Amino acid sequence: MSTASASGVRARLWDAPTRLVHWALVALVLFAWWSAETDRMAWHRWSGYAVVGLLVFRLIWGFAGSGSARFASFVRGPAATLAYVRTLPDRTKADMPGHNPLGAWAVLALLAVLIAQSVTGLYAVDVDAIEAGPLSDRVSFDTGRLFAKWHHWSFWALEALVALHLAAIAFYLVYKRANLVRAMVTGRQDFGRDPDLSFAPPWRAMLAAIFAAAIAWLVSTGFRL
Amino acid sequence: MAGKSRWVLGAALALSVTAGGALAQSAMAQAVKDRQAHFKQQGAAFKAVLDELKKDAPDKAAVAANAAKLKGIAAQLPTWFPKGSGPEAGVKTAAKPEVWTDQPNFLAAAQRLQGETAKLDELAGAGDIGAVKAQARAVGLACKNCHDRYRVPENS
Repeated sequence: MSTASASGVRARLWDAPTRLVHWALVALVLFAWWSAETDRMAWHRWSGYAVVGLLVFRLIWGFAGSGSARFASFVRGPAATLAYVRTLPDRTKADMPGHNPLGAWAVLALLAVLIAQSVTGLYAVDVDAIEAGPLSDRVSFDTGRLFAKWHHWSFWALEALVALHLAAIAFYLVYKRANLVRAMVTGRQDFGRDPDLSFAPPWRAMLAAIFAAAIAWLVSTGFRL
Repeated sequence: MAGKSRWVLGAALALSVTAGGALAQSAMAQAVKDRQAHFKQQGAAFKAVLDELKKDAPDKAAVAANAAKLKGIAAQLPTWFPKGSGPEAGVKTAAKPEVWTDQPNFLAAAQRLQGETAKLDELAGAGDIGAVKAQARAVGLACKNCHDRYRVPENS
């Protein structure tokens, strides 16, 4: 479905599940940060479980979701990435649907750091031992403390990647006159010609969501049924 | 002759003072390391209690054994902080100078932990898991009470 205009067409790019996961992750990461800083550890754990669910969903969606969400559709090799990097100084918009090859690596890096952030949190033990992740009884006190340290380190990595993400969005907005945020909100973007993307049916998103929620719930109980 | 021996004496004295200082400092560095090892044992014993309490059917003997251990360790806590084993010890320590400058309150905080762990030990000995759970929270708060005031926060 697309609407034609003088400069091209405005067409669907990101499906609802992809956008929902994106903005929910933004909200939950901010919430998790705030709750940790203000020592609301029960809330911090709950936001962590929600992030686990979103990550599981996003990984499934990366293989079985809509075209623009699939890793296979946007992850490219070093040669294609380098070729794209060479076009960065051009002030023209890249006429490709969705992630460019360089942004694709940023997506993978963000997902990897979010996974590291979640997993380290599950095993982390606070200095008073009273606050701990749901899987911390699998490790010793010392190891749990180590996981807590890694949990902090991976948050620094996450902060750096978020800063890079925002800088890239600002660069595209100001230098290339491409509004990436609007597309992530509305799901639509202007193209030279209709990219004719494929979209996954809602029932598949539903199945993936149920599966992801089940995994998140299992994790929250420490796999004790 | 007299001048030379005086020089030797002076040098020997200077050396021994330096060596004495270095020895004292390495003793304090050792005190910091010992303290950290003690706190890790304490954390491990407390975590052992908490891990057991998480289970559907906690092993009462394991809870009691670790609660007793915790009580024994907490009784020793004030001795882990000899004067000079603060930031001036020359090795990394999270102990704030306030441990020594605010000693009466620090010792009171340590006493609170001793009281709470003694109660935990008593309840665990009686096998009352419900009461142990509530008391474990009180022990955790006693840990936190002291850490908040006398321990440098991590990642700061």
